[in-house]
Amino acid sequence: MANLFRTFSIGLVVVASGLQAGTFAQTTSPGGWLTPDWGMPAITTATRKPAPRRNLEGTWAPFGRFGGGTQAGGVQAKPNNGRPENQLPYTPFGLALYKSHKALEGADAVKPADGNDPRNLCEPLGMPRTNHYNLGLTQIFQDDHKVAVLYQYDNRWRVIWTDGRQLPTLVDGGVELGGELREQRLFGYSVGRWVDDYTFEARTIGTMSEDRAWLDSTGRPISDQVRVTETFKRIGLDEMEWSETIDDPKVYSKPWETMKFTMRLHDPRTDIMEYYCSPIDQANYNKVFANTVSK
Amino acid sequence: MRRWSVITLAVAVGLVTPWVAFAHHGGAAFDNGKTAVLKGTVVEWIYSNPHCLLRLDVKGEDGKVVQWIAEGQAPNVIFPGGYRKDTFKVGDVVTVTVEPVKNNEPMGRILQTVLANGKVLGRASSAGSDEAIQRR
Repeated sequence: MANLFRTFSIGLVVVASGLQAGTFAQTTSPGGWLTPDWGMPAITTATRKPAPRRNLEGTWAPFGRFGGGTQAGGVQAKPNNGRPENQLPYTPFGLALYKSHKALEGADAVKPADGNDPRNLCEPLGMPRTNHYNLGLTQIFQDDHKVAVLYQYDNRWRVIWTDGRQLPTLVDGGVELGGELREQRLFGYSVGRWVDDYTFEARTIGTMSEDRAWLDSTGRPISDQVRVTETFKRIGLDEMEWSETIDDPKVYSKPWETMKFTMRLHDPRTDIMEYYCSPIDQANYNKVFANTVSK
Repeated sequence: MRRWSVITLAVAVGLVTPWVAFAHHGGAAFDNGKTAVLKGTVVEWIYSNPHCLLRLDVKGEDGKVVQWIAEGQAPNVIFPGGYRKDTFKVGDVVTVTVEPVKNNEPMGRILQTVLANGKVLGRASSAGSDEAIQRR
């Protein structure tokens, strides 16, 4: 852990002092605590700067206005709004699973007190839902061995190994690693590689079972047999495309793309406010508001 | 049904700031498309996850005081719109536009705020995602 944070610190210094120098007009906020700048001008062909090679580091957020990565209505590429083009290729098991979920968002939303979203118990989102729940300011650090992604929501982070190790073998109840059955993980087991100098591909397996995890806030399901493939494509100094495809034969009859965000680089000095789920706060909120409005 | 005698109930389109549809409680409980304009006295302002909550005493035309609870999003979400921990002080007289809940309880979610000094919050940086706007 200490090494990881040392790596983060080194990465931060590198980013702050070199790669991004002169990119940001924002200077200081009171006390030097920079707040996110949601008013950065659009990038044009004339203003686009070349992307650094094999580098994802920085503080990123979905392009445009604040809140662009919310996905309250379902994963970005397929919102759960009842439109035919957004219907998902459920297997019979997947459809039954979806119907068992009582979501607070989407086409089949229920009132707050009637929901059964594990998130409302402050259950960690895990992969891949962490990419589909209020994707906000996201910090990425890397070294010769790994890429680390730090999410704003719930101060969660995950590691994508880039040192050449192979993905474990996905088996029932977990993964096989070196001849041993290893446990399922909230954020799974991830490895990544550079497809070319500007395109990084990450693959993840070994996530939690379907009774612990949802795909999105509208109750779309995901199982522990899912294989998640993410692509981070650096298209400029200030821009990166982040896409995700899931292949979950237990729940969906074919792979499908869940998101394709264009991310905008923010000032690396930006102070990111906490945004978390606290069981105490959640209980208080339910008592004061949610339970009453659900009557 | 409670009488919202002091409020103006109106169609929301074009009147208020688009709501930021941040996930975790959903919109099923709210009467989408309606607004209630509340002028009242601040009783409590809870600046907390998962949602900020504003208690407001609102006096009706019949002289009766009804305590409303207006919900805001989490601090990090409403911060860009200018909402801070000390935005509301007990005793402040403010005007809050809410989207009321369906079951006629005196509750809603904050769409816009006019502070005692006339400053308007929620109009600029509370603007939500395109997705959120489409939902309205």
